[in-house]
Amino acid sequence: MKIAVLVSCLVVLGLFIFATQVPITLTEDEVAKAIGEAGAEAELPVDEDILAQAVQLSVAKLEKAQSTRLKYLASAYFVIWLVFILYIFHLDRQQQELDKRLAQLENENVPL
Amino acid sequence: MKIIGILTAILIFISLYLIFGYAHIEGTMLEVQKIFYYHVSAALTVFVAFGVNCVFSIKYLIQRKRNDDLLAVAAAELGLVFCTIALLSGPIWARYAWNTWWNWEARLTSTLVLWLMYVGYFILRSALEGDKRRLYSAVLGIIAYLDVPIVYYAVDIWHGGLHPDRGTKWNLETTMRQTWMVALLALIMLFTLLLIVRYRMKKAESRYEIVRQKYLGEVSQ
Repeated sequence: MKIAVLVSCLVVLGLFIFATQVPITLTEDEVAKAIGEAGAEAELPVDEDILAQAVQLSVAKLEKAQSTRLKYLASAYFVIWLVFILYIFHLDRQQQELDKRLAQLENENVPL
Repeated sequence: MKIIGILTAILIFISLYLIFGYAHIEGTMLEVQKIFYYHVSAALTVFVAFGVNCVFSIKYLIQRKRNDDLLAVAAAELGLVFCTIALLSGPIWARYAWNTWWNWEARLTSTLVLWLMYVGYFILRSALEGDKRRLYSAVLGIIAYLDVPIVYYAVDIWHGGLHPDRGTKWNLETTMRQTWMVALLALIMLFTLLLIVRYRMKKAESRYEIVRQKYLGEVSQ
């Protein structure tokens, strides 16, 4: 049981590192497509350069805040796993105590 | 037991892969939304755990079988663990989404009340002994369960809270819904596994106490 929890902790950590190594960067094509769509949907004529600047700025803002968001995500999963691990260690300790008490009774030749 | 253990481990690994590697990133909360999968699943597992406690508390009151009481206690203990997870992971979400760690809105408050009632359940159990302990804790288990529908329907009863409508979680985008379903199944399996482990331990402890009391009684005579 303890091994399963520890392994799953490692998996969480691994997946977390794997998932968070990739920043949410938008490709040039995606940005160009977004600008094109925004220009087409606009009722008034828009300056494409200004629009492109605005899109780039908001993408940069989104990327900059990513580390903050990942901190929240990591903290939540850390807390969840910490509670599970503490509980399983608590169960394990209780089991050990019970085994000790049973062994003691056996030593006293009490029929179990 | 081994099969359940292996199945639970596999489901947990799959759910974690789906959360971090498969489910789409939600547009508003972005990566933080991924807290949802285990937070909501833990909250729903709480309902299952306290439901088991309530059913076996009723069964104990009717049939007065010691094993029903042991199963009820094991379920309550696990319910408390999952409730703690929901209560601790929730504020992390809240801090990002609502810019506050805690808010005395209906669902949060009723969940805290639920947690406190089951803490009270264990305080009561430690304060009493024998049949009295089993009887009073069974009654308290049933009363405490009355808070579960209040928690679930809190957003409908008291409007204007921070939690979204009950239906929101069912209207998720496909990859998110699939991920959530697997995460929920994984936590329910984990609950089942731990319930079996805890129940067996409680049974062994109870048997030990019976043997010890019988033996001590014989020795003192």
